[in-house]
Amino acid sequence: MRIRFRNGRVYDPANGREDATADIHVLDGRVVEAPGPGERIDEEHDLGGRIVMPGAIDIHSHIAGGKMNLARMLMSEEHHATIVPAEGACLCGSGIVTPSTHVTGCRYAEMGYTAAFEPAMLGSNARHAHLEMADIPIIDTGGYLVLGSDDLLLDLLARGERPETIRDYVGWMLTATQSMAIKTVNPGGINAFKYNARRLDLDEAGPRYGLTPRAILTALARAVHDLGLPHPLHVHGCNLGVPGNVATTLDTIGAAAGLPLHLTHVQFHSYDTEGDRRFSSGAARIAEAVNRTPTLSVDVGQIVFGQTVTASADTMTQRGTAPLAHPRKWAAMDIECDAGCGVVPFRYRDKSFVNALQWAIGLELFLLIEDPWRVFLTTDHPNGGPFTSYPELIRLLMDRDYRLARLAEIHPEASAHTTLGSIAREYTLAEIAIMTRAAPARSLGLRDRGHLGPGAAADVVVYDDLPDRRAMFERPRMVFKDGVLVARDGRTVTVTKGSTHVVRPGFDDAIGRVVARHFEERIGIKAKHFAISDDEIRGGDGPVRHGARGQG
Amino acid sequence: MALHEDVTCPLCGLGCDDLAIEADGATTSPVRTACALADGFFRRGAPAVGPRVAGKAATLDEAMDAAAERLGRSRSALIGGLAADVDGIRAALSLAERIGATVDHGGSAALFRNLAVLQRTGWSVTTFAELRNRCDLLVVVGPDPTPRHPRFFERWVAPPLALLPEGARRRVVFLGGAPSAEARQQLAGVDVSEVPLAGGDLPDAIAAIRAALRGHGAEGPAAALATELREARYGVIAWSAGQLDTLGADLAIEAVMRLVREVDLITRCSGLPLGGMANAMGANQVCVWRTGFPLRTSFAGGTLRHDAGALSWEHHIAECDAALWISALGAGPPDQNPDGPLILLCGTGEEPPTEPDVLIPVGTPGIDHPGHVFRGDAVVALRVGALVSRGLPSVETVLQGIEARIASVPAAGGAAS
Repeated sequence: MRIRFRNGRVYDPANGREDATADIHVLDGRVVEAPGPGERIDEEHDLGGRIVMPGAIDIHSHIAGGKMNLARMLMSEEHHATIVPAEGACLCGSGIVTPSTHVTGCRYAEMGYTAAFEPAMLGSNARHAHLEMADIPIIDTGGYLVLGSDDLLLDLLARGERPETIRDYVGWMLTATQSMAIKTVNPGGINAFKYNARRLDLDEAGPRYGLTPRAILTALARAVHDLGLPHPLHVHGCNLGVPGNVATTLDTIGAAAGLPLHLTHVQFHSYDTEGDRRFSSGAARIAEAVNRTPTLSVDVGQIVFGQTVTASADTMTQRGTAPLAHPRKWAAMDIECDAGCGVVPFRYRDKSFVNALQWAIGLELFLLIEDPWRVFLTTDHPNGGPFTSYPELIRLLMDRDYRLARLAEIHPEASAHTTLGSIAREYTLAEIAIMTRAAPARSLGLRDRGHLGPGAAADVVVYDDLPDRRAMFERPRMVFKDGVLVARDGRTVTVTKGSTHVVRPGFDDAIGRVVARHFEERIGIKAKHFAISDDEIRGGDGPVRHGARGQG
Repeated sequence: MALHEDVTCPLCGLGCDDLAIEADGATTSPVRTACALADGFFRRGAPAVGPRVAGKAATLDEAMDAAAERLGRSRSALIGGLAADVDGIRAALSLAERIGATVDHGGSAALFRNLAVLQRTGWSVTTFAELRNRCDLLVVVGPDPTPRHPRFFERWVAPPLALLPEGARRRVVFLGGAPSAEARQQLAGVDVSEVPLAGGDLPDAIAAIRAALRGHGAEGPAAALATELREARYGVIAWSAGQLDTLGADLAIEAVMRLVREVDLITRCSGLPLGGMANAMGANQVCVWRTGFPLRTSFAGGTLRHDAGALSWEHHIAECDAALWISALGAGPPDQNPDGPLILLCGTGEEPPTEPDVLIPVGTPGIDHPGHVFRGDAVVALRVGALVSRGLPSVETVLQGIEARIASVPAAGGAAS
């Protein structure tokens, strides 16, 4: 099957193309060089100067696993109110902030997204997450394994095991859980909460193991680096949501000591304590630190106004914010000497000082961080708001007048406490293409995604160049996944199967004996049963494997 | 003959994975299970009957034809039982969407007692490994769970408290129930005591503990238990919702949840619901991720309707115009019959006393084919393996066959397509 896209204005930053008028050739789901004359073209699309980008990639979106199912059950009123009947190619489902699997795949594809990564997969829940991801159609998926409060890691660190041992443990767990990256969530804090600690600062020794979050974080960052994982340690730091946490975040950046780090939903970690209300923006300080630290990347975790539900492995923080739940119900779990989960519904209001300032802080971060290769578009779905808010967010970034109009509507004191009104920057289409395509692919080591050069998967999105950027990004004219037209004018037309991506680093297998003993003596499941085999992924299709840096 | 070691049992939701089972031809026999339920489950022979339609022997294709014909013309079918692995449940949900049916698990009554509390007030719970390694005070509310979860105490309570400081000891208190001889034997060496109900019911007893926690009522067993909860490092309050056979079961569970949360403000405390027989938890998980709703959900008219009361299988079986009942994991046929035709997919040895309209023997996950089931704490999904080859199709295979047959003829109405 040979497809030609003619007369497109191509935005393909990974291959240095910005608004380049070019044809894209596809053969059997892959981008190829232009064929010689006389080669038969099966399908031709004359784009008439429309904009072409690779499929977008969401680097951080909670789409699957136990905490999402818990959130769906807790948010029963929302699901009753948002039932999606079967229509056209689509099956039925429900939910906006915690959509069911079919709705998740279709909504992403309809916005031109062709991959989304679940950023908080617990080892003990990984098999569930993979079973669920297999039911998400069209888009590619993958999961980041949460480590840092698991008792075995903390025990190894407390015993002073060598970095090589920690590296091998991380490699074993990553492989056993079919993961794409390593994330740490409030390192040590989830564990400390099990010993009734309600707060743990970066340099505070936790209970039982006597380890500081800093020590855990640096050990993991080093293990990730030594394993050669493409994506750096994905960090949800300490003190999420606490006014003054900007200092913790700057210290966390310092703790990396030159090792690559990705700070996730950094908006929730950029709060200062100035002003009458002791709550102010630390965005400028964080942006300045990001700008001068080339080994650092962030995603924003922008909030959007409205009802959502927050779901996190950070039980310590979630337990603290539970009294603010709206509606007033919440769920919490301690899980398997591994981690935990907390689910707290939340309504962000533009007339609330705190929420309005959170909104402004997120936008300040986007606009003050200069390098679009190191800042990613996220709402920490659904924690800051649903992923379907991305087109609105793109408009806020690309259209200053629109941004100022929205700023005028929020809580007046919040708008007085932000510099947002004075920031002139407007993102260009090329920068949006970097931030939502090329950069996430590069950060995750997806060599054949996020670009449109020969060899790339034919994830091709065609947009009308509309002045209303929200409308433009909400309803792409055409979305192709692996060369198949999956959505047209914002509606799903073909439901295909996606793939699940994993990374397979090398490590010393001898660690398996230590892990096996721990599972036998403490966890009550045999390590060989804990490990997920390839034929359990995507209904037997198996994962798409990626090598470590330096591997083939 | 082959001896399979480290076999995982899919039955009761405890997730025991240390069984030894012998396989010989078409027969499996337990060698080491330490569990009466698993002993029965793994004692299987060659299939006694093949597929049957209207009481007559049929081929698998003929039986699937007959099932498709009956389900294809239904307008309000029930797909119940759902005692199957994750792939079987996925196939059941796809078929339900195709024909506009309602889905429920045969053992969901207990599940919904818990879900009612989760949806009303929320949920603070823990999992088995946390219980095993951290819990220094376990309160078992209501009946001893051992009859339904035979190795609960042996596997999750008797082992050492590995993650508490040395010298920490575990106590187990039975509130309003008494340990069976088996439970006592498994708990040898653990400090076990009983707090009987003083005249009232479980919610009253829990209310008294909550009052004592707030300083009201300074004496008696309620006050003593309140003190113990307050002084524990990590308390766990467990119950088996399916064994709380009272009208107020969900009130008792809600009272437990409120108590847990009040204690959890002082020290750590979590609830632990026990249940999940025959993959009830997996059936619910798959239904939630596929639809956004728990079980007891209807696909009629190409849309979704969830009603935890009216759409329970016990209610719906009297109203449906056809019922497909799935029992591949030892749950058995329904104890009520529908007015319309009954199509039964059952594991070997589970053939019903009365002849259904269509009977299709299916393989059992964990014996005939690999599959996934969820543990009772809803977090851990287990992979079970295959021990013998008896030529039995999986639930998934049969349901996909039925759905393909229905898809190939025009829908009768009420269907999604």
